[in-house]
Amino acid sequence: MSILLKKALKLSILPAVLMVAGKFVGVMALIVAYNLQFEVGNEITGVFSTQIFLSDEASTIFVNSLSDLAMLVVLGVPTLYMIVRTTILQSAKNNPRTIAKMVKFNVLKWVTSNTATFLKIFIWSTFVLIASIITVSNSLNGESYAWVGVVAGVLSLLSIWGLVKTFEIETDRVYPNNREHSYF
Amino acid sequence: MGKFMEPIALGLLALLFIIPSIAVINLEPITKNLKQFTDVLGVTTSSEIIVNLIGGTHEILSGEKVYKNDDGEYIYEAKLTKRESDFYSKPILRLENRTDEDREVAFLGTTLSPTRSDIGLVINDQAYKLQRPSGESESVTVLLRAQSKYDVYLTVESVVGIQFSEDFEIKITVE
Repeated sequence: MSILLKKALKLSILPAVLMVAGKFVGVMALIVAYNLQFEVGNEITGVFSTQIFLSDEASTIFVNSLSDLAMLVVLGVPTLYMIVRTTILQSAKNNPRTIAKMVKFNVLKWVTSNTATFLKIFIWSTFVLIASIITVSNSLNGESYAWVGVVAGVLSLLSIWGLVKTFEIETDRVYPNNREHSYF
Repeated sequence: MGKFMEPIALGLLALLFIIPSIAVINLEPITKNLKQFTDVLGVTTSSEIIVNLIGGTHEILSGEKVYKNDDGEYIYEAKLTKRESDFYSKPILRLENRTDEDREVAFLGTTLSPTRSDIGLVINDQAYKLQRPSGESESVTVLLRAQSKYDVYLTVESVVGIQFSEDFEIKITVE
């Protein structure tokens, strides 16, 4: 088995678990916090037939919207963190002004090493995209608030932009641009 | 050995993306009139006609919802999306007569504009016409036997392709 495949499998487990956990914990936390009447049943046939039933339409939309948002936050925040960190590290390598700013804000230590590889960012971004597609589709079907769909859309665009940016950084590492000077 | 493992690993990787997606879709809550357990022994003493949304996905039906309005009538709403000329059918509602006597339920289905489609219902293998292609609506009355459940199917037959979406509503009145 190739190293890339092994690494991809290993890196996909955490976002996959977080995606389901974000949604499930979101749904349950809202039901408990707002003391909503609910029922777990298996009346609908499907790949997984277990369903959570709520008593009224408004509660369903509310719980669905905020649990979608929880899932997006759980996946989106680490993804954006990895993208920002990788971008700043690369900028610091090429631009002494960025290093000066890092020193000024006392965050130089934060970007002295890069633990996020392109593969890791690609996998996390893919999960963000899947979560965004589900959320936007819910919004379009009237099953969640429109603003949650807009947030999901913006987050997916940011992830795609970050992924492209990271890809550029990765290709620059393989095929370095001679005109740019690295200070490391 | 490693080469044989590669397709399995690829499948596993695909499943790591597919399973969470399906799980999240299944975790989405659904509106349903929940049973009111009023008896301490756990016997339902409710004397109601219950209308539940079946849900699921369909190529021409989206945004389905059912709710009770201020007059105590159930309203089923959905969007009929653009479609090719064909016959479409989908289970939309489950009616439950929890009372000890037979009850009549009336359905009145309308779209805002003429749809050039025949819209009807199928309940207990019996077909009923709700709206003609000209837009003319008919009220349908169905007898629900005591302590029984019925699945209601919505049927849409379009002789020509429809290139626009339309809002559809059924008013359900217990008589």
